[in-house]
Amino acid sequence: MTGISRRGVIAGLGATSLAAPFINRRAFAQSGDAIKIGVVTALSGPQEFIGNFVLSGCQIAVDQINAAGGVLGRQLALEIRDDRANPAEASAAARELIGLGANLQIGTISSSVALAMGPLMTQEGGVVITCGAGTEKLNHENYNEHVFRPGDGPYMRMRAQARLMAERQPEVTSWTGLVPDHEYGRTTWAVYVDGLLQFYPEIAKADPEILDPIIVPYGAGDYRTFVTQAARSQAQGIYNSTYGGDSVTLFQQAKPFQLFKDRVLMDSANEFIVAGALKGDTPGHWTGIHWYHETNKGNPLSDQLYDDYVKKTGNTQPMGWVSEAHAGIYAYAKAIEKSGKSDTDAVIAGLKGLEWDTATGKRLMRAEDNQAIKDVELIYIEPDASGPLGYKVTDYVKVDGNTVIEPPTPGEPMTLRKPS
Amino acid sequence: MAGDLITILFNAMIWAMATFLVASGLTLVFGILHVLNFSHGGFFMIGGYVAYTVLSMFGADIPLWAYLVAAIVASVAMGGTGVAVDTLVFRRLKSVDGVYVLIATYALLLVCDGVVKLIWGLNYLSVSPPRELLDVIFLGGAILPTFSIFVILSGVVVFLVLDYVLNRTSAGRILQVIAIDPWMAGVVGINVSSVYRWTVITGFALAGLAGGLLVANQSLSPDLAGIFILQAFGVVIVGGMGSVRGAFVASIFLGLVEALSATYLPNYPGVLFFATIALVLIVRPEGLLSRQATT
Amino acid sequence: MTIARVRPAIFFSLLALLVAGALIVPHVANRGVVFLSGVVAINVVFGIAFNLAFAKAGILSFGNAMFFAVGAYCAGYLITQQNHLPFVVILLAAAGCGGLLALVTGLLALRRASGVYFAVITLAVGALVHVLIMKLNFLGRNDGLVGVNRPIIDLGLVELDLARGDAYYYFIIASCALLVTLMWVLWSNRFGRSLQGVKSDPMRASFLGIDIDRKRLIALVLSGSITALAGAIYAPWAQIVTPELAHWSFSTMPLLFTLLGGSAFFLGPAVGAILFGLLDYATRSLIGISDLLVGGLLLAVVLSVPGGVLGLLGSLLARVRAPSSPRREGRA
Repeated sequence: MTGISRRGVIAGLGATSLAAPFINRRAFAQSGDAIKIGVVTALSGPQEFIGNFVLSGCQIAVDQINAAGGVLGRQLALEIRDDRANPAEASAAARELIGLGANLQIGTISSSVALAMGPLMTQEGGVVITCGAGTEKLNHENYNEHVFRPGDGPYMRMRAQARLMAERQPEVTSWTGLVPDHEYGRTTWAVYVDGLLQFYPEIAKADPEILDPIIVPYGAGDYRTFVTQAARSQAQGIYNSTYGGDSVTLFQQAKPFQLFKDRVLMDSANEFIVAGALKGDTPGHWTGIHWYHETNKGNPLSDQLYDDYVKKTGNTQPMGWVSEAHAGIYAYAKAIEKSGKSDTDAVIAGLKGLEWDTATGKRLMRAEDNQAIKDVELIYIEPDASGPLGYKVTDYVKVDGNTVIEPPTPGEPMTLRKPS
Repeated sequence: MAGDLITILFNAMIWAMATFLVASGLTLVFGILHVLNFSHGGFFMIGGYVAYTVLSMFGADIPLWAYLVAAIVASVAMGGTGVAVDTLVFRRLKSVDGVYVLIATYALLLVCDGVVKLIWGLNYLSVSPPRELLDVIFLGGAILPTFSIFVILSGVVVFLVLDYVLNRTSAGRILQVIAIDPWMAGVVGINVSSVYRWTVITGFALAGLAGGLLVANQSLSPDLAGIFILQAFGVVIVGGMGSVRGAFVASIFLGLVEALSATYLPNYPGVLFFATIALVLIVRPEGLLSRQATT
Repeated sequence: MTIARVRPAIFFSLLALLVAGALIVPHVANRGVVFLSGVVAINVVFGIAFNLAFAKAGILSFGNAMFFAVGAYCAGYLITQQNHLPFVVILLAAAGCGGLLALVTGLLALRRASGVYFAVITLAVGALVHVLIMKLNFLGRNDGLVGVNRPIIDLGLVELDLARGDAYYYFIIASCALLVTLMWVLWSNRFGRSLQGVKSDPMRASFLGIDIDRKRLIALVLSGSITALAGAIYAPWAQIVTPELAHWSFSTMPLLFTLLGGSAFFLGPAVGAILFGLLDYATRSLIGISDLLVGGLLLAVVLSVPGGVLGLLGSLLARVRAPSSPRREGRA
């Protein structure tokens, strides 16, 4: 899958990469030309895995929009840069693209890159749409009107997960977490706890018991010490916010200890990453996902996105970041149509309060804090040793975004319930 | 309580032996050639991927013999790569400052990452332990997975074999002589360049072997090299650079530090590990068991 | 390996050329290129500061990222939390922190280890600093420090607002030129020559009554504090400071610049940093193969031109000048 898309990308970029840096910037701003959208995302380093999905989503959306006649009669064109998940590289790329006339940008995955983009875009006069950057500071402490998040914020995602547990597993009242030792890991756990403390009393009519989470290092090769600690916990439910290869290693090493055998496992954001690696050894678990094509069957945008993705890559199990990028490009298209112009101020005005159709249904870009209100999707994955993938999705749900999102408080830190 | 103690010791030993498997080739090459090989982690990673490819023929149900064969295939493949690296890099840089070799091995690490992405892609992969090693043993309230015992035994066996070869055979004695004074070794008629070559081959083969033996121990991704290389560096530094025995002792020592810090300082993973390394360097800058005198 | 001396006339004309080139950039190129050339200018200082300790005193440090990060974090923290402080004070504080860290590292390790051993020790200390930065709340943990604004310099009569337009870029060029000049003085004066003596023949140097350890320690502290200054200048340029700056892989950058340009030349790391910047720019959208490309290129340079680009030019020049006696250049 990745090999194919990469080769395609390299071939496609051969020409643009040679574009001279010294070309007069006014040459690009003429109307009638294509509207340039800059894709600055992780295309090397540890987040390359996600960056590839983001890139595919952007390319599919642009092809679809162009095939349907473009925006205000103009075509969309992508300029692609690798940010190596590093704020300095991202800054250089974002500034360069603005110089080339791509004031509209998309693709930020890394939280630290997303936080760096606000002041930069204010200064340089650009807009950026993030694709999976998790940090809550984006629409709180570090809110900046030039940065938009069309997808799940951590507050709505983790609280939706807690709400679902209160509905589906009212008897599972004691919870602990496997929490990676970084800022964002601790935030996800704190928000999940907030959700447990609200929704268990409200829905399950029970007071949840919050046990100390197990803080694990990230990027380690051995998690057995933490697995044995977790295995000794009295908790009936485990919330996992470790990510990627760390989760795969942790779950793999947890198997002999039967850590997840009689416990409910709620995973924050691994989508199909863990299941794709562990296949038949995957423990049954819920996971948050940006978009699952089966959940959205019947939505023409979703069906078309899925078909186009499979046609483009040959991979039949796309992950949700594809739709984040896809929804972001559509948001730009709608905002430009709404305001009639593609300059930065017009697009910001167009994006604020925009209601638009996406592969996951209607979304509303909240004007106060640039955070989209959308449904949160969750899937339940079980092992399926005889199936083609080794695992299968046996349940999927949507949680209404309006029931779990925080009120907009740009500039203020979010406030959370704490266990007494 | 007894169960806790056993669990801590056992977890320390798995960490220790997994790290030792990676560090053994690193410290061997350092001891003889005085080359700190950044790319060692990269070749360990490729060894893991080679074993993965071999084992993917067996599906989810892997017999133990196949697992061992895959590890040997990985080992041979990396040993062969060692010939190429020795010819193309180490030999050509023999006469220049050590820093050039250091930066060349760092460049090789980047190349390893790139090669893995081109051949195996970006997906996270994993391999199940062999079917004979899926059980657990209960001991005094502790749960000991048999695959973990296999990892520990592999580390011990590799150490014993290396230690025997280095200290009880004539080849080992020649190595000791070269490590201390390669010029004198040349004078007394030892083919130093050929010994260097075989040392590099052995070091790389050990990296491949470690990759194969540990392929079911953790996930496979292009990040794998980075995960193990700092751990292995720590072991090599603390053990006394170039000493296989030192690396063995240091890996157990740092394994205990890791297990204890995870148990008693759960909020600060990693801090105690590097603090211990720094402390050891202050108290015994030459490492626990040093073969080289640091000047 | 001999170390090339640079005559003042040649040095200042080369520096003037570089500065002039840097000053033209904002007028002809787009914002991204301006940003990158600011980074390149800082990298020039980063590289030469490394090479000052490496080529002159034989100190191979694999922890220069920690000096850079300490400077950047110091500036970032003071700008975001104590913004009443004059920027010059902030820069001096950053240089002091970097120097102090270098002093501690040097006292711990320099007397006991040299060469690759010292490199490995600095690698371990650097890893500890990296871990600590990610644990400290007041340094923003993993997210780093955001909103590091460009300062206003109050010169009594006039105020320089560095946040406006390209002002901070010109400030970078000016301060980097100043630092390069300072390092050139250190490189060529008596101190530099005595370091040279320490490196090439420590026995003789100690007979001559030179305190070798002290000299090496001073070289490391100078290198560390200038590197920290480079970091402090960098912080308001990127406007964000993150733990990546302290990661060990960032410590390979000054080494790379030095080897690429040629460690025997004062301006070698400068040439290396500029070439690397150009290369980075040329390959910016060849995504997916950047590891392979950078690794392969680095390997090629180290293997085929171990003297760096300037070394290669030097030997080519020597061949042109003395075609009849090629032997001489082999010995130079």
